[in-house]
Amino acid sequence: MEFTIRAATLEDCKDISRMILELAEYEKVSDQVKIAQRDLEQDGFSKNPFFHGIIAEVPEHLKSKEGHTKVGYSLYFYTYSSWKGRAVYMEDLYVMPEFRGKGIGKALMSKVSQLGLAAGCTQLNFTVLDWNKSSLDFYLKQGCWDVTSDLGYHCMRCEGDALEHLAQGGL
Amino acid sequence: MANFNLRKAEPKDVPDILRLIKELAKYEEMEDQVKLTEKDLLEDGFGNHPFYHCVIADVPAEHRCSLTDYSVIGFAMYYFTYDPWIGKLLYLEDFYVMKEYRGFGIGSEILKTLSDTAVKNRCSSMHFIVAESNKASIDFYKRRGASDLSLQEGWRLFRIDKENLLKMSAEE
Repeated sequence: MEFTIRAATLEDCKDISRMILELAEYEKVSDQVKIAQRDLEQDGFSKNPFFHGIIAEVPEHLKSKEGHTKVGYSLYFYTYSSWKGRAVYMEDLYVMPEFRGKGIGKALMSKVSQLGLAAGCTQLNFTVLDWNKSSLDFYLKQGCWDVTSDLGYHCMRCEGDALEHLAQGGL
Repeated sequence: MANFNLRKAEPKDVPDILRLIKELAKYEEMEDQVKLTEKDLLEDGFGNHPFYHCVIADVPAEHRCSLTDYSVIGFAMYYFTYDPWIGKLLYLEDFYVMKEYRGFGIGSEILKTLSDTAVKNRCSSMHFIVAESNKASIDFYKRRGASDLSLQEGWRLFRIDKENLLKMSAEE
């Protein structure tokens, strides 16, 4: 299948927002999405962006049933490992269902890897849900390994009231 | 011992930051995994586009523990990340207080400063990882309202190292 992989622009935020919701629906948690298109525009395309995006686009004649040519995306940002230094974190990777199995996901991930390496990163990190077998298989095939399984690291979060309470010095 | 000071890290703190990174890695039994150098830390933390920020805890000379000669006795390394569902987050990469200085509320004060930074920067959450074998730290965080996403929601952290990154980036 013909497709191109390129850096996301401000104009892509509408489609990125659409696909974020599609991915959240796939992960069965769409009620948790609080970010709107204008938040993405502000947070990703101002002077100090909090993330970067890559888009997978198909030509007009291959557009989706609803008429979309932007059919996949990845959101990533740079992080830091106190052991190894610069790292890249792939926050989202998504390809619309009707465009899967054509190498688009792999191409998106390859682009993030290229950009990460160019920026001096020595590792790419991301999280996957334990029930998402097809994604787990895809990633293991690319040479990834499960840090949670192998090293026992758990992802933790402190948010909302707990975060506010902590900020006020509470126990 | 009540006298300690929390401040933003400066370039001169880099040797102490690396020392504490190695001490924390040793505590996690991963000391041989630290490949970072002082040069990396200087370039990556104090250039035009810092990859990380650090909070330092230091003690004045008269309050130093007789067993150590250091003034920098604790630190936290963090950076900002993004969740496309909820927006900006603060990610806590490392958080450590030297053994001789624990139990005085220094860790709690560092965490308070970080949470305050998160709230002031309109972050909706603070994220970090903890080894499941590190019961003391897990209890410390759970007491402060942290939840274990790996247990509760099934998130697994995956990694791809440089060798495979190179292979992946070369694929058509």
